[in-house]
Amino acid sequence: MATSTAGSSDPSTTRRQSKKPKYSKFTQQELPACKPILTPRAVISAFLIVTIVFVPIGVASLIASHDVVEIIDRYDAECIPSNVTDKVAYIQTPGEKPCKRELHVEKRMKSPIYVYYQLDNFYQNHRRYVKSRNDDQLRDSGKANSVSGCEPEDDANGMPIVPCGLIAWSLFNDTYSFSRNSNNLTVNKKGISWKSDREHKFGSDVFPKNFQNGSIIGGGHLDVNIPLSEQEDLIVWMRTAALPTFRKLYGKIEVDLEKGDVIQVNLGNNYNTYSFSGKKKLVLSTTSWLGGKNDFLGIAYLTVGGLSFFLVLAFTIIYLIKPRQLGDPSYLSWNRNPGGH
Amino acid sequence: MSINNNMIDVLQDQKWESIPWKKLQVGDIIKVKQDGFFPADLLLLASTNADGVCYIETANLDGETNLKIRKALEKTWDYVTPEKASEFKGEIQCEQPNNSLYTFTGNLLIQKQTLPLSPNQILLRGCSLRNTEYIVGVVIFTGHETKVMMNAMNVPSKRSTLERKLDKLILTLFATLFMMCFIGAIGSAIFVNKKYFYLHLDSSEKGSAQFNPRNRFLVFLLTMFTLITLYSTIIPISLYVSIEMIKFIQSTQFINKDLCMYHSETNTPALARTSNLNEELGQVEYIFSDKTGTLTRNLMEFFKCSIGGEVYGNGVTEIERGLAERNGMKIDENKSANAVQERGFNFDDARLMRGAWRNEPNPDVCKEFFRCLAICHTVLPEGEESPEKIKYQAASPDEAALVIAAKNFGFFFYRRTPTTINVRESHVEKMGKIQDVSYEILNVLEFNSTRKRQSVVCRYPDGRLVLYCKGADTVIYERLADGNTNNNIKKVTREHLELFGSAGLRTLCLAYKELHPDVYESWNEKFIQAKSSLNDREKKLDEVAELIENDLILIGSTAIEDKLQEGVPACIETLQRAGIKIWVLTGDKIETAINIAYACNLINNEMKQFVISSETDAIREVEDRGDQVEIARFIKDEVKRELKKCLEEAESYFHSLSGPKLALVIDGKCLMYALDPSLRVMLLNLSLNCHSVVCCRVSPLQKAQVTSMVKKGARKITLSIGDGANDVSMIQAAHVGIGISGMEGMQAVMASDFAIAQFRYLADLLLVHGRWSYLRICKVVIYFFYKNLTFTLTQFWFTFQTGFSGQRFYDDWFQSLYNVIFTALPVIIVGLFDKDVSSSLSKKYPELYMEGIKNVFFKWKVVAIWAFFSVYQSLIFFYFVSTTNLSAKNSAGKIFGLWDVSTMAFTCVVITVNLRLLMICNSITRWHYISVGGSILAWFIFIFIYSGISTPYDRQENIYFVIYVLMSTFYFYIMLLLVPAAALFCDFVYQGVQRWFFPYDYQIIQEMHRDEVDNTGRAQLLEVGNQLTPAEARSYAISQLPRELSKHTGFAFDSPGYESFFAAQLGVYAPPKAWDVARRASMRSKPKIGHKK
Repeated sequence: MATSTAGSSDPSTTRRQSKKPKYSKFTQQELPACKPILTPRAVISAFLIVTIVFVPIGVASLIASHDVVEIIDRYDAECIPSNVTDKVAYIQTPGEKPCKRELHVEKRMKSPIYVYYQLDNFYQNHRRYVKSRNDDQLRDSGKANSVSGCEPEDDANGMPIVPCGLIAWSLFNDTYSFSRNSNNLTVNKKGISWKSDREHKFGSDVFPKNFQNGSIIGGGHLDVNIPLSEQEDLIVWMRTAALPTFRKLYGKIEVDLEKGDVIQVNLGNNYNTYSFSGKKKLVLSTTSWLGGKNDFLGIAYLTVGGLSFFLVLAFTIIYLIKPRQLGDPSYLSWNRNPGGH
Repeated sequence: MSINNNMIDVLQDQKWESIPWKKLQVGDIIKVKQDGFFPADLLLLASTNADGVCYIETANLDGETNLKIRKALEKTWDYVTPEKASEFKGEIQCEQPNNSLYTFTGNLLIQKQTLPLSPNQILLRGCSLRNTEYIVGVVIFTGHETKVMMNAMNVPSKRSTLERKLDKLILTLFATLFMMCFIGAIGSAIFVNKKYFYLHLDSSEKGSAQFNPRNRFLVFLLTMFTLITLYSTIIPISLYVSIEMIKFIQSTQFINKDLCMYHSETNTPALARTSNLNEELGQVEYIFSDKTGTLTRNLMEFFKCSIGGEVYGNGVTEIERGLAERNGMKIDENKSANAVQERGFNFDDARLMRGAWRNEPNPDVCKEFFRCLAICHTVLPEGEESPEKIKYQAASPDEAALVIAAKNFGFFFYRRTPTTINVRESHVEKMGKIQDVSYEILNVLEFNSTRKRQSVVCRYPDGRLVLYCKGADTVIYERLADGNTNNNIKKVTREHLELFGSAGLRTLCLAYKELHPDVYESWNEKFIQAKSSLNDREKKLDEVAELIENDLILIGSTAIEDKLQEGVPACIETLQRAGIKIWVLTGDKIETAINIAYACNLINNEMKQFVISSETDAIREVEDRGDQVEIARFIKDEVKRELKKCLEEAESYFHSLSGPKLALVIDGKCLMYALDPSLRVMLLNLSLNCHSVVCCRVSPLQKAQVTSMVKKGARKITLSIGDGANDVSMIQAAHVGIGISGMEGMQAVMASDFAIAQFRYLADLLLVHGRWSYLRICKVVIYFFYKNLTFTLTQFWFTFQTGFSGQRFYDDWFQSLYNVIFTALPVIIVGLFDKDVSSSLSKKYPELYMEGIKNVFFKWKVVAIWAFFSVYQSLIFFYFVSTTNLSAKNSAGKIFGLWDVSTMAFTCVVITVNLRLLMICNSITRWHYISVGGSILAWFIFIFIYSGISTPYDRQENIYFVIYVLMSTFYFYIMLLLVPAAALFCDFVYQGVQRWFFPYDYQIIQEMHRDEVDNTGRAQLLEVGNQLTPAEARSYAISQLPRELSKHTGFAFDSPGYESFFAAQLGVYAPPKAWDVARRASMRSKPKIGHKK
């Protein structure tokens, strides 16, 4: 041991003087690496794999989408009496504005059937709108006074509004009731919101206060005796939509509808979309494992898969007719034009 | 700087005291010892040599290897000892500090006398003292006022061209940002309308001004600012940080620690002194190289000779070796056992050694050859008179090499007296016999640049009178006697001279002549007359010399190798193949410069050479007339005419495809006029068309001017490499400055951006590190551009859907962390590890470097292609994901809100952008996988935590539970597969098609070597080992040399001459020799000084 230390001390001193860099794979840039080369073969196989994966998924999504039955009925124009010229004034007059619609079931609809309303040209994603809420207030009964961000719907008559803000204030308030052959179809309005919203974002001991008491009425009223966590229409409404055209879940009809059925809808046409010429639609839809009717996914998948397949064919043909030899030195630029400047 | 802490002896109270350089003050009297550097510009007072003469080496200033002579004023000769020096009292009046190395005007007021001072008394900082025990001098200029420092330019802060282009890209991005904001703000001003009652736009609470329809202009302005903050992610701020980080690691870890650039002899690793310019190394198109110390070792070795029509010497020069290797042959250096290796002598041929020459076909010629070497020179022996211990003091290393050669052949010159030369001759009468012979030296006809020869008339002990002459082949051949045998030798020797010359060897012809005593006596009278004449002495001496230097008999020729640094020709060849043009800028003479250009394979006989020199008869004639204005005008016209002629010729060659390669040789004086703004364009046009350019006799400032001419005029990326103080300004002027480290002077290294120990490491530095850096930085920049543009554009598309309100698509935290965490690390990994082909392949295919010169990877076209795919991808991200909005997304019929959609989009962006990175990688290490995987994982971990907690802080809990909501739907996973695949689809097609149909060079190389394992240890390139015997190798190498008859025979020799060199010994007045460049100029002022004395 002793000799070895004595022996090693000498070279170590010389090593310290030497400025020779130590070898390491990192500093010499020799880390092991794989070098993928996009050979024609690799390109073709990659596209083949994409084809194989995407086409089945596309077909599956398309089938799922086709299984969904959807009835859409636009009613904003029809629900204004024909003698009314000023639609905005009409809709703003207080009182019931009933309207009757008929929906024809073209295809059998299995329960549950989801009832949506769809608004157009409604900017729930406007910056002024999105931020106009106060999550503290919604969750915590002790924070009724925290209305920051809610302007201009933060207080009315000097009292804070619960729930405050433009979103709650402009709550959608058209009502729908359905009957088939004059049998009422009950609309279940429980469980239409995301569970996480219900349980964590809206307090079960927060009750509406001073709501819609301002000078201008924006939209629906709330029952002051029901806590916010159970006001599911409000919860759904307050999960603001990403685009100005959106649907919101209104309720569920938990009976099957048969082909040929005619559904009578008793509409309470209260919500003002007329001032900004927004459309209102009623949607009845079933769902699949992928959700509602959505051909887009299937088409997109099939397009990508189809394009890949086309490219597989095209590349294969080129590959067979006029292959480029891999690593052909004649492709090197300095071989292509010898003596080029 | 450590250099200023060197100690120097200063006179204090009649004693020499050591103080550091930095404490020196003007007026101090200091002592500089032999081989010491002058710490400041000094006025030479006295020298230990008689007559106040001292010898200095100026290699640091002008690269010249021969010593220069400086002579103190007679009045001050005595101030050698401290006691005496302390009595020195005087006043020096001189010009303001300036940068002209070759001029000085001033007066010394001493003892009420005014003595004029000339450059001859000035010792410049940067030079060193040689062959003189010590000198005493007065400090005139110190520090930044010294002439060397005045030649240095302000240290420029250098930024790489790529970074400057990056600035333009950033500006473009700013413009894009502004455009986007402008569009958004206009949209916003149009959108705001009271009809959207749910937005309550008519209210007048605080902060409502932003959307107040009554003041749309204000809406426009305020939205503008909102959008600027919203889209600010388009500016890749973290790019600069990342690039700095990458470059720092590249330079400290890769360049500094590269074993391939470690020079074990001098224990010097490469050193990157700045990390700014790594990628600039990958785009260099012009290299400006100093000669001495950079290309050459400043070491002359006797290498070959031709005696009586027979070539001796088996050595193979670097250039020959390079030629042979190119033809697939490997030449082994098989030194025979009796080869003598000595500094100055690298000659291996048993036929001449140890008296073996007696058995050669013409031993008498050999004898004359050796005697000529031993006698005809101006070398001083020093030290013990034994062959092993003796030291020769020679004015030029060439001379020393010749005398050393004579010594090794058995003609040992060991003593010189003013009238004799003593030579110990071996094997002359018979083998093994040694005898001392004393030759009486009767006349010395000294060397100068017009005569290009040097002769000695000596008397043998037996009374025979012989004139030995050595000089340039042109002048010797003119003076040879006619005769059959002589003619034959002349012809053969001429061929040999050409062979030597094209191999880059410096040649001298040797000749002799027997003199009849009567002829000699009559001539000697004329000689003495001429020597004692007062005016036009030199001219008269030259004329007299002509009378006797005729009817010579040719003995043979010598070939001296100006020893190149190791691997220089091979490196130059590699760099030229890489599309880099190499210019040699040297302070040396035109012949030497051309010679080295040959040796380095920069010029060969197949090239068309344009020589623009001021050493023509016409110019000389005008100069002799002495009218400065006239001289300037004449030279300018001459230069203009020459330039025009050359340019026309060059263009005619340029148009014909198969024309020869062009080379330009120009000297400093012509360059001075050619750099004039009116001729500059012509010079630039001509030189850019030339394959190689050699500028000789250039001052440090001219070096810088040439460099900046190419840098600014041609807008090419330039690199300067040098080792001495004279290269500093050129190093600073170029885009990239490289200093040669590991030698004495540090000025070049201190001014440089990179320091390497050997010229040949340039290949590694440029072709490997530079190229990789360039590729990597390009990728990093482009990728940053892409990822930020893509990300911001999704935000931009969203703006259209929100009534231009400036609502964020992504949560604040997503947006902030996008650049910092989710996409930061992988791109740095690419910047560090990506390499297209291995380092050995980079050097094997130097042509790959041209991609960098052409800036293939960071053109606007490339940017546009990436921008296109960026737009495409962002459209996919936004519109594919936002289709999600409408219908139900799970079987429970529930609908996604804004934050669900945006989180999904963000997830897609993060995944796609990271995968896109993998697609640009040429080599994927496990760090790539870790960083890319890690980044994606980091996003998921972050979002799991971020959406899982609800904090008590006042924040909008928009993201609460979002990811869990998303992950509870099939839809999310289906989208996660679709969106990245669709987004990358086009990129993949593009890459596939590009590689298939329009492959880059590096891609072809990759394919050619795809099956090779990247073997570690950077194995040298395959060398086809064709073993040859030395003789075969020699004949092969010779046969490979160009056979074409050329003018170039490799003469390059300089010596300050006998008279001035031995003035001290002989006590004879010697006309002071000015700096060579200023020789002619100083000639006119000389008589003045002479009269004073």
